[in-house]
Amino acid sequence: MRVWSDRPELLHLAIFFAAYVLGCGFAQALAIIPETGISIWLPSGLFIATLALASRRSWPQWVVAGLLAELVGNVLWFHNPLPVALLIFAGNALEAVVGAWLVTRFGRPVRLDSLPEVLALMVLGAGIAPIVGATVASATLAWFDMQSFSAAWPLFWLGNASGVLIAAPLALALFQDWRSGTALSEPRWLEAAAIGLILLGAAVLSLSAYLPFAYLIMPPLLWAAVRFEFRGAAVSLALIAIIAAVFTISGDSQFAGEPGSQTLKQIMLHLFLAVSAISAVIVAAISRQHQAALFALSERERELSQLVDLLPAYIRRLTPEGRPFFFNKRLTDYIGASLEEINAIDGDRLEPAVKDYVHPDEAGDVEAAIRSAVATGQAYSLKYRMRGIDGVYRWIETRAEPLRNQDGTIAQWYSVSIDIDEQVRLYRELEEREGKIRRLIDSDIIGIVFWDLDGRILEANDAFLRMVQYEREDLRAGLRWFDMSPPEWQEKHARYEAEELMATGKMQAREKEFFRKDGSRVPVLIGAACFEGQSTQGVAYILDLTARRQAEAALSERERFLWQVVETLPVMVDCAAPDGEPIYRNQQLREFLGYDLEALDGTGKSRLAGTLDAGVHPDDLEGVKTNYAHSLATGEPYARRHRLRRFDGEYRWVETRAAPMYDPKGETVQWNVICLDIDGEVQTQEKLRLAQERLSRASQAASLAELSASIAHEVNQPLAAIVANSHACHRWLMDSPPNLARAKVTAERIIRDANSAADVVSRIRALFKRSTATRSPTELGSVVAEGLGLMADEVVRLRVRIDTDIESDLPLVSIDRVQILQVLVNLMRNGIEAMDVTKGAGVLGLRVRLMGDTIQTEISDRGPGIAFPEKIFEPFFTTKEHGMGMGLAVCRSIVEAHDGRLWAERNEPHGATFIFTLPAEAKAAK
Amino acid sequence: MTEDHIVFIVDDDHRICEALSELLSSHGIRAKVFESAGDYIGFEKPDVPACLILDVELPDINGLDLQRQIAEGDHPPIVFITGHGDIPSTVRAIKRGAVDFLTKPFSDAHLMAAIQTALEQDRKSRADRADLNAVRRRYLELTQREREVLPLVVSGLLNKQAAAELGISEVTVEIHRRNVMQKMAAASFADLVRLAERLEIPITHSRRTGGSGS
Repeated sequence: MRVWSDRPELLHLAIFFAAYVLGCGFAQALAIIPETGISIWLPSGLFIATLALASRRSWPQWVVAGLLAELVGNVLWFHNPLPVALLIFAGNALEAVVGAWLVTRFGRPVRLDSLPEVLALMVLGAGIAPIVGATVASATLAWFDMQSFSAAWPLFWLGNASGVLIAAPLALALFQDWRSGTALSEPRWLEAAAIGLILLGAAVLSLSAYLPFAYLIMPPLLWAAVRFEFRGAAVSLALIAIIAAVFTISGDSQFAGEPGSQTLKQIMLHLFLAVSAISAVIVAAISRQHQAALFALSERERELSQLVDLLPAYIRRLTPEGRPFFFNKRLTDYIGASLEEINAIDGDRLEPAVKDYVHPDEAGDVEAAIRSAVATGQAYSLKYRMRGIDGVYRWIETRAEPLRNQDGTIAQWYSVSIDIDEQVRLYRELEEREGKIRRLIDSDIIGIVFWDLDGRILEANDAFLRMVQYEREDLRAGLRWFDMSPPEWQEKHARYEAEELMATGKMQAREKEFFRKDGSRVPVLIGAACFEGQSTQGVAYILDLTARRQAEAALSERERFLWQVVETLPVMVDCAAPDGEPIYRNQQLREFLGYDLEALDGTGKSRLAGTLDAGVHPDDLEGVKTNYAHSLATGEPYARRHRLRRFDGEYRWVETRAAPMYDPKGETVQWNVICLDIDGEVQTQEKLRLAQERLSRASQAASLAELSASIAHEVNQPLAAIVANSHACHRWLMDSPPNLARAKVTAERIIRDANSAADVVSRIRALFKRSTATRSPTELGSVVAEGLGLMADEVVRLRVRIDTDIESDLPLVSIDRVQILQVLVNLMRNGIEAMDVTKGAGVLGLRVRLMGDTIQTEISDRGPGIAFPEKIFEPFFTTKEHGMGMGLAVCRSIVEAHDGRLWAERNEPHGATFIFTLPAEAKAAK
Repeated sequence: MTEDHIVFIVDDDHRICEALSELLSSHGIRAKVFESAGDYIGFEKPDVPACLILDVELPDINGLDLQRQIAEGDHPPIVFITGHGDIPSTVRAIKRGAVDFLTKPFSDAHLMAAIQTALEQDRKSRADRADLNAVRRRYLELTQREREVLPLVVSGLLNKQAAAELGISEVTVEIHRRNVMQKMAAASFADLVRLAERLEIPITHSRRTGGSGS
């Protein structure tokens, strides 16, 4: 305290000085024993208390202040000679110093709030220190022969001791509590006042009467000491001292008396005061100590309660029956209901409470657990969700344990719940994450292995085991990945992989191989990573590449196959960029040309131009270039025959075809060109053409032979008749007499038959006159119309009706118009003549229609029909008496020459239909 | 040519039929014309020497096929005429007994020669047929035993041998033999042998033991 700093404030020194002087006056007033001024020396208590509280360095100043005050007292009351006064003060000062020194040895500041301190003050301050003062003062009085040493010493000691006992506590109480003293509450003030009054009354009663009555003061004094502790004791003592002094001085006191008993009385007074002081101070100390203990206890309880509330846990206390009687603040804050609210429910509170605050999923379990615990006394631990004031359920873990009495019965239950929502959530997340990882591991997609650098497999999933065809037992038996690695990979691992793993904690994915259980190799893609913070263990991810390898092998095999196909195809293949520049030529083409593609570079011309200029026959060059340019510009496929120079200088006919290859967007990626050496074919074709020409001539000859047979038949018949008739005629004429009549008949027959023969010849000539005419696409309808025109006269003459049914929009046919016309006319005439036989039923049907890709012409009659539908087409066959019997054979020849067919069918009920087909060329132009 | 004979002409060309008929008429030969094979087959032919002039190309049946069909029975010799003769057909026709194969137009002389040959041939075959019929009639008059004896004796067995063969006496064989000679109107034994031959009586025994006939 600043008050008690090294340099005491002047005010304090002044107060000390005043109090000291007052103490001197008080002592003088009580100095009732004759011839001696010795009485209760209050300054000694003040002095000791002051020094005990002041710093030792300031002691001289306080001593000086005490000296001055005592000198003033001496001047005012004691009137001792100055040396005596000085010596006595020296004794008093020495006593104070010794006392303060002794008291403060047991700790500063001296608070007198514990019994040891009080006892120390009493024994050291009030018992021992006054010895010093009493000795010095008694010696001084004896020295100056004022009193005898032995008579004065007890009085001095007693006076000083009483002074210490009364004044020191008062001074200490005043000094210490002056500022820090807490204001008393109103009841306390009333109590203080009451005690004061009782004390006064008791004091007056006790001190004014018989000595033993003096101790009537003790109950109120002790009451004050108990209730108001040190302050109460000090004030009460001061009051008692003053009252005692007053009565003593006034003589009313039992301590006053006649002079003979004065000394004894004085001693008794001192003893009374000392006993009172000791009792009061001790009781105050005990009270203080008790109060302090109580305070400490309550403080601790407060702290504990705070602690309980501060704990991040929900705490309940429950009766042995499970009824809660304490909730900590956190709990009530969380659930938003106080214990009272919960306990307000009548009857069984557990079920509604659980229902209110526990998640429905766990409510049943919780209630059952609590009931079971209450019934059995077993501690329980539960995890469940508890609803907060905000309606949100949070996971808590609750642990309840019974607190038992000494006899083993349950005193109460303690239940502590910890909010584990975050943990649960984290756990859930962790579980979920682990589940994901587990799924990854358990999935059959990828092999996963936990490895260590010693070559062991710590764990592997089924996908991996399947990949290497091992069983889980093998894994348990200590499967080693290192042993599964082929030797070259073991070496690589030792050299690079281990280092990479150590350095980076990872191993980049790479393709390698493992031995399967059966010793075969499985190609895999493997990547690995060390576990966090570990460089010798980790996880590896392995993909089986067998299928991919097979696919790659198949692909490359296919590519190789295709390449071989292209290289070995017996055609020349050329691939060109979209601009026509050749980029690839197969072996056939290279060999044909005799130079490689690269040979064209650096000539100043493009490869294409170089190839064309060097290879294509000069006569074809311009056309080839034009065609190429056209195709390249338009993307149209290219096809052309031309002569190409072979490596040996020979020009050979080739057929070149090129088509663009498109990417998915439709852009031309390249031109694929094939070039076929068709020189042989061209030569063969030429030969074939010549052969065909010959053949054509031969076939013409053949048909002529056939024709001549027909002609022979047709002509020989009349000729034979002519010859026979001639002979007959000759014989009739040679007869004697000549049979002229018969000769004439025969001659007429000769003329008729000869004409018939001539007719045959002329009509045959007419028929084949146009046989070499070229064919041209013709509309068959127009030919039919022409035929009908030619037949018109005959039709009218024979009164035949012709029903025509000609489809419109018929495709064109490539025909020799005249020949087909002759066929038509011939067939029509046949039909008409057939009906001529039957007379009258003259309807000729003529129908032309498209049948698939042929045009079919049908000519039907209602004649007698035909007996031999096939035979009639034979060259010598005829059923007719007149006309061109051989015509059907020729008709068939003509139709067949046009790639058509001619046949006859019988009509029902009578008649015949002649049908011929001709291949349609194309859809008629509209 | 006053002899009673007839020429059949089959040709689908009426001009030929007409002309040939006229020509034969001028030669004094009766002719009958048919325009199809069917007509010819269905015709009741007179029992006189005849000849068939047959066109190869007929509307209903080929002349060569007709030749094959009628080959079984007695038919007149055939002279083929054709508009265009080819060698295989000719050879086939001749092989089957055709008299000639004439290609139109043919000469009067050729035709007439062929007809004469054919008629002569027919006359002769008709006479042969008549002869044989007489012999057959006589053979049918023989008794059973005589028919048994005939083959043995014409085989050249001695009467004694034949008797042993038949289990009868030699005298009886001699009687049967004389009867057979008489009934068969055989002037001599040699004549009898010839008749037996015409009747195609098999020679079952040879005088030489163990021989299988000559």
